[in-house]
Amino acid sequence: MQPEVFDSKHAGIPYLILAATGVAGIVGCVIGAMMDGRQLAFSWLFAFIYFFTLCAGCLFWILVHHATDAAWSVLVRRVLENVASLIPVCFLGIIPVLIYAPFLFHWWNLAPGEDPLLDAKRGYLNHTFFIVRTLLYFFILSGVALVLKRLSTRQDGDGNTWNSVYMRKIAVAGIPLFALSLTFGAFDWLMGLDYHWFSTMWGVYIFAGAAGSSMSLLVLLVTGLRRKGYLSCVTMEHYHIMGKLMLAFCVFWAYIGFSQYMLIWYADMPEETSYFLRRNVASWNALSIFLVCGRFFIPFPLLLLQGLKKNPKHLCMVAGWIVFMQAVDMYIIVMPMLHQRGFRPHILDLCTLAAIGSVLGLLFLKGLGKYNLIPLRDPRLKESLELTN
Amino acid sequence: MSAATIEPPPGPNVERVPLILNERRLSWVTDRISGIVEDRTPFWWWVAFLVTSPIALIGLFCIGYQISTGVGVWGENIPVGWAWDITNFVFWIGIGHAGTLISAILFLTRQRWRTSINRASEAMTLFAVICAGIFPGIHVGRFWMAWFLAPVPNQYGIWPNFRSPLLWDVFAVSTYFTVSVLFWYTGLVPDLATLRDRATSRVRKFFYGLFALGWRGSNRQWRHYEMAYLLLAGLSTPLVLSVHSVVSFDFATSVVPGWHTTIFPPYFVAGAIFGGFAMVLTILLPARAIYKLHDVITPQHVDKMCKIILLTGSIVGYAYSMEFFIAWYGGNAFEKAAFLNRAFGPYKLYYWTMISCNVLSPQIFWFKYCRHNVFIVYFVCMCVNAGMWFERFVIIVTSLAQDFLPSAWHVYHPTWVEIWTFVGTFGIFLSLFLIFMRYLPMIAMSEVKIVSPFADPHHHPPGAQEETHH
Repeated sequence: MQPEVFDSKHAGIPYLILAATGVAGIVGCVIGAMMDGRQLAFSWLFAFIYFFTLCAGCLFWILVHHATDAAWSVLVRRVLENVASLIPVCFLGIIPVLIYAPFLFHWWNLAPGEDPLLDAKRGYLNHTFFIVRTLLYFFILSGVALVLKRLSTRQDGDGNTWNSVYMRKIAVAGIPLFALSLTFGAFDWLMGLDYHWFSTMWGVYIFAGAAGSSMSLLVLLVTGLRRKGYLSCVTMEHYHIMGKLMLAFCVFWAYIGFSQYMLIWYADMPEETSYFLRRNVASWNALSIFLVCGRFFIPFPLLLLQGLKKNPKHLCMVAGWIVFMQAVDMYIIVMPMLHQRGFRPHILDLCTLAAIGSVLGLLFLKGLGKYNLIPLRDPRLKESLELTN
Repeated sequence: MSAATIEPPPGPNVERVPLILNERRLSWVTDRISGIVEDRTPFWWWVAFLVTSPIALIGLFCIGYQISTGVGVWGENIPVGWAWDITNFVFWIGIGHAGTLISAILFLTRQRWRTSINRASEAMTLFAVICAGIFPGIHVGRFWMAWFLAPVPNQYGIWPNFRSPLLWDVFAVSTYFTVSVLFWYTGLVPDLATLRDRATSRVRKFFYGLFALGWRGSNRQWRHYEMAYLLLAGLSTPLVLSVHSVVSFDFATSVVPGWHTTIFPPYFVAGAIFGGFAMVLTILLPARAIYKLHDVITPQHVDKMCKIILLTGSIVGYAYSMEFFIAWYGGNAFEKAAFLNRAFGPYKLYYWTMISCNVLSPQIFWFKYCRHNVFIVYFVCMCVNAGMWFERFVIIVTSLAQDFLPSAWHVYHPTWVEIWTFVGTFGIFLSLFLIFMRYLPMIAMSEVKIVSPFADPHHHPPGAQEETHH
């Protein structure tokens, strides 16, 4: 096989579009910071968590690839690695969250003695430990993503199979670290928005959304590259598998979401129902119903069709929809804490998305041009090329 | 590029190991697996059956005694209204999960190694579900009224409560059992035809022929078979998740501290797969040794199952930690008390046994040596089998024994009837499995042949090239 390297220097229009939206987004955020810091804080958290879940989801798929010694995903793995290696940059997005923490997290402002419920969990919810934990997640997730990418690209050069063995070992050790980081990150940044509320399922729920939407993102990125003439070796068989995984995680998200909702609804305990009561009022209720329909009932029957999964154009439409619905999901988690009376879209929601998304997009395109688009000397490459379902 | 110019990459050999070892031919697979059914009943089988069947009879006697005398022969009493009965139900239904996971989910994800173990696991699933089904029926007390569980029209117009997860359980378990039987039987058809064709007696030929449904192995039949198998796999996959999720709803929809927590559905499913795989290994490792099936159930298969046990054991450990953490974080005094009571109360021995067996013991599978040493594997599987029973006991009994009203607190002890009913279900389970081994192929011959290197038209066995030159 011939090496394929993305020509990032001549990416042209995508670069310009990303740069323009990035600048517009950043300028918008700066103006927003001066006008309405509270709105910016929530909009920023929404955009940060959205892109963080997408990047972390890609890391999850790399971990699964190595841990299971999979072959089919070799051809698309470098794209995943390029997205996952954005995690360190993505984590820089947590800095405004920390700066605006007093706006975001009510518990941040409460002194000891003001709320006995908070006092009971001060050992966990305190400023220092919160920052230490965030740093821990940063080091763990960034470290795993970067080391795996380093070994993978090193194999392009030396072809040594030890790299595969090391990657497998790191991935296996990385799975529990990933699970704990994502869970407690979800507890800190999202569940902590209402420190009275709790759900043991929360980490699994955020994981389910991240994994499904990042597989959809992969479909979009691979198709984009194929349109530009790269990754022509990715066949309908690979699309079929990616589509099946999208289907599996579409159902898994619904299963986890339903279980969480149904159990809280059934038991009807005030300390738990507060989460859904907040999201089942006024226009939030309409958006919540839209989430359930859009994230499950619409993509599910479509993804059951084999023909659709093998058609890149059609699969991309569903994938784009799922990536959009992931944003809606994160929006419904974050925003009702700010606009309690109903759904109120704000221009800063778009500015923050544009700011973070464009910076990540630019870095992604730049990163694509540094290495081969395919791990050319991976020992499972032949199997991946000859894939049949 | 010619083969001569390809150099192996530097570093260790990471080539995939074949799923059938020692270049065993397709005929060897047929002879060896069919031979288990066709040969004379071995002496060890009679010894084993004469041990398990009386135990099964003792279990049946206990059930009869309990039905005729009343639930009072058990140690259950308010507030502990559910104890060994429901513990055993959840234990057995959990074991019944691995079979369909292996046959359905691993089929859909194209895990070809499943072929060596799926048939025995599916059979194990059915027998485990039979054992599980006994307990909800007999624990209602008036067994002859158990038909009330089903929504049957009756002259009083009395219907079961459709909002109750206990009713969902009836639907979930019966659907699971039905689909599992269909799936198992569909997979059996080509192998039954093989046994029919090899039969030497007219009786065997008649019965195997009857159940082989006229299978001739034609192209059209295979096409229909594969479509049916795929559809059944697709139908079974949500059932694997739904059955134990519904079982978890039995507890989690309540407001009992220690029972009501949102992570229960996936946690129960992971636990079921965990316990199920341990039981698969518990049964298959001796069977493999007795029938010398090491070339079909290879170290690679054992290794992969150990990894699944490690993964699901760790997921269960994650769920235990989440429960404990949120019990503290949530700030609910009752919830906190329930968990502290589990770890340090009268049932602490059960709790720490559960933690040691379910979370700690599988961690040994991080090491390849331990995954390849059958004695260690067997020991861990026995720990997991025990641990998963203890888990259900801890969940059910500790939460009930010390609930909201301290004056009602009561430490539960089982009676001999409960103990022997449970032991009896092991007798039923093992007796059924022994009968299965004698009369049906315990390894899916047709499926194993498909993953054999000889099924690949490009495969060149060692020595084959030299033969063609001569």
